[in-house]
Amino acid sequence: MAALQEEFVAAPLGKIQVFHGGSGPPLVYLHSAGGEAQGLPLLEDLAEGFEVWAPIFPGFGESEGIEEIDGIDDAVFHLLDLWGLLQLEAPNVLGCSLGGWMALELAVRYPERVGRMVLVNPVGLYLPEAPIAEMFGRSPAELAEMLFVDQEHPVAAAMHAMEEFTGDVGKQVEIPIELVLPMWKALGATARLGWDPYLHDPKLRSRLRRVTAPTLVVAGAQDGLVPLAHAETLAAEIPDARLAVVDQAAHWLIFERPDELAALTREFLG
Amino acid sequence: MRFFSFHLMPYIGLDPAYEGPAWVTCPNSLFDPVHGGELYNRYLGELLYAEELGFDGVCVNEHHQNAYGLMPSPNLMASIVARLSSRMRVAVVGNALPLYDPPTRVAEEFAMIDCISGGRLIAGMVVGGGPEYYSFSVNPAYARERFQEAHDLILKAWTTPGPFEWIGKHFRIRYVNPWPRPIQQPHPEVWIPGAGSVETMEFVARHRYAYMGIPYFHLDVFKRTFQMFRDACQAEGYEADPLQAGWLVPIYVAETDAQARREYEEHLWYFVKRLLPGITIQPPGYTSARSLANILKGAGTFMLNVTDWDEIVDGRYAIVGSPATVTEQLVESLGALGTGNLLGLFQLGSLPGDLTRKNLELFAGEVKPALEREFPAGAPVHRPAAAVA
Repeated sequence: MAALQEEFVAAPLGKIQVFHGGSGPPLVYLHSAGGEAQGLPLLEDLAEGFEVWAPIFPGFGESEGIEEIDGIDDAVFHLLDLWGLLQLEAPNVLGCSLGGWMALELAVRYPERVGRMVLVNPVGLYLPEAPIAEMFGRSPAELAEMLFVDQEHPVAAAMHAMEEFTGDVGKQVEIPIELVLPMWKALGATARLGWDPYLHDPKLRSRLRRVTAPTLVVAGAQDGLVPLAHAETLAAEIPDARLAVVDQAAHWLIFERPDELAALTREFLG
Repeated sequence: MRFFSFHLMPYIGLDPAYEGPAWVTCPNSLFDPVHGGELYNRYLGELLYAEELGFDGVCVNEHHQNAYGLMPSPNLMASIVARLSSRMRVAVVGNALPLYDPPTRVAEEFAMIDCISGGRLIAGMVVGGGPEYYSFSVNPAYARERFQEAHDLILKAWTTPGPFEWIGKHFRIRYVNPWPRPIQQPHPEVWIPGAGSVETMEFVARHRYAYMGIPYFHLDVFKRTFQMFRDACQAEGYEADPLQAGWLVPIYVAETDAQARREYEEHLWYFVKRLLPGITIQPPGYTSARSLANILKGAGTFMLNVTDWDEIVDGRYAIVGSPATVTEQLVESLGALGTGNLLGLFQLGSLPGDLTRKNLELFAGEVKPALEREFPAGAPVHRPAAAVA
């Protein structure tokens, strides 16, 4: 396990927070709508064997520039800017959920800028028969039920604990802003990209044939947010892709099953 | 002091077996159209009765896909009232601008109502409630931007001879040239409802519009809100006029305090327990971090969290009692808030038509004259020393 260091880079959109460490081939981690990266055991694990870069997207954490992000195109151009600033030609990319969607959008537009790609429960597609569940307007506890199999997991337990401050009838408590603000910011930033169309790009599916990066799609078998059909569709329609389903894992298997995910990633990236 | 009768037009008789929210996902199979038609006509009668009783005006508002208020188009209701009344102001509080695309629709419809009423429209403009962003799928992360741009476009459409071209971020219209134009010049009086967002107060203060406090909070929350609004006006270099602020509050007057509670309480709880649930759903990106802090300060006191009658009374969530009690509590509260417009909800929850009319009559006959003596037109309203506990 190697701890990542916090760095800041001056991107055209503003100051971008990046967690960076380890050595080996470059691996960029693109976080989910949770904005996770700092202290993530998965990344500390992968820093043994890879030079890990985990940029925080504008509007999350301490990264600036969300005002300039009006859609997934802007996200792709921002990633291109970052690749330039970090001197990454075609790094491996590990994207979780929202980050997986961004990785896909980069890979269909600039296939030469992605080495190998690991997508963990990515959003980005609309499948009429298997729609993505509603993540907005949910209480933290409701989200935890969708994101975790194990409600005792420390992150899930913390989300349940937040319930004390939200929406209980008959309860008058002052809500501490420091508890709410990070989630508030993360959801607001996610909405800019994924409110409408809801967490997808109607053009993405027809563009999947453009991906050249060998791709591993990892799905949590019990994902309560993104149905398994999404991972299956991606694995079937991306030219060089395969599927790995992790049992006893839900949407946030980055938290819940970091060891399995790290092993799958290592095996795939070689 | 100006007196307005505000109507939400709630759905009465929501299936007792249904326990879910009254908003967004409340199944519309629960709406009985024939009963709905009766309610609309009853409520329109209650609005028009306000003119007969000497109110300065009536207020209608916009909500979608819910049982709380059956006015997806307040402009339809306002146009009916405009045609059938002759003296009072007709306040639409307001149109949810980000939901109108293109927003010139608002400029057109408001101008129609202003023309039909002979210049009696009050043009309310609102960002729209949280549930509306779910019901319309309009991106809440752009709510403020769209509101701002739509407002600028509407005001320009009213004040600049057309046709002109509007090329904005959210709206692009090659030919802006609305027919009709409003009678009131340069434009109708503008009211902006707000729930404590700092940006909204600053916007209202900058344009010298009137700020309407969105209800159902403890009186202390409104005290802070209207003080912040007065501060925002001062930051713009002027003292707020009392008529630039309005307090919306449920009011029920009966012959005695005991009778008032007896007649009113079950209808108030229908409102709190059946119609409010779901109203607080939060759309992401809808509120800035700066405003979030202020809104969270009040969130715990929201009426949905109140389960006890004494809390309703003590927090002034509703003003209920004999004419003397209601007068006393309103004098105290209005003095503490400094608002020159009183927007009374005289029909709330399942309150039936006969009690609503009796309420309006007792208020107009006994409370309103006392308040007019207490707060003469043009005199200051704010009395910080009179703040209630």
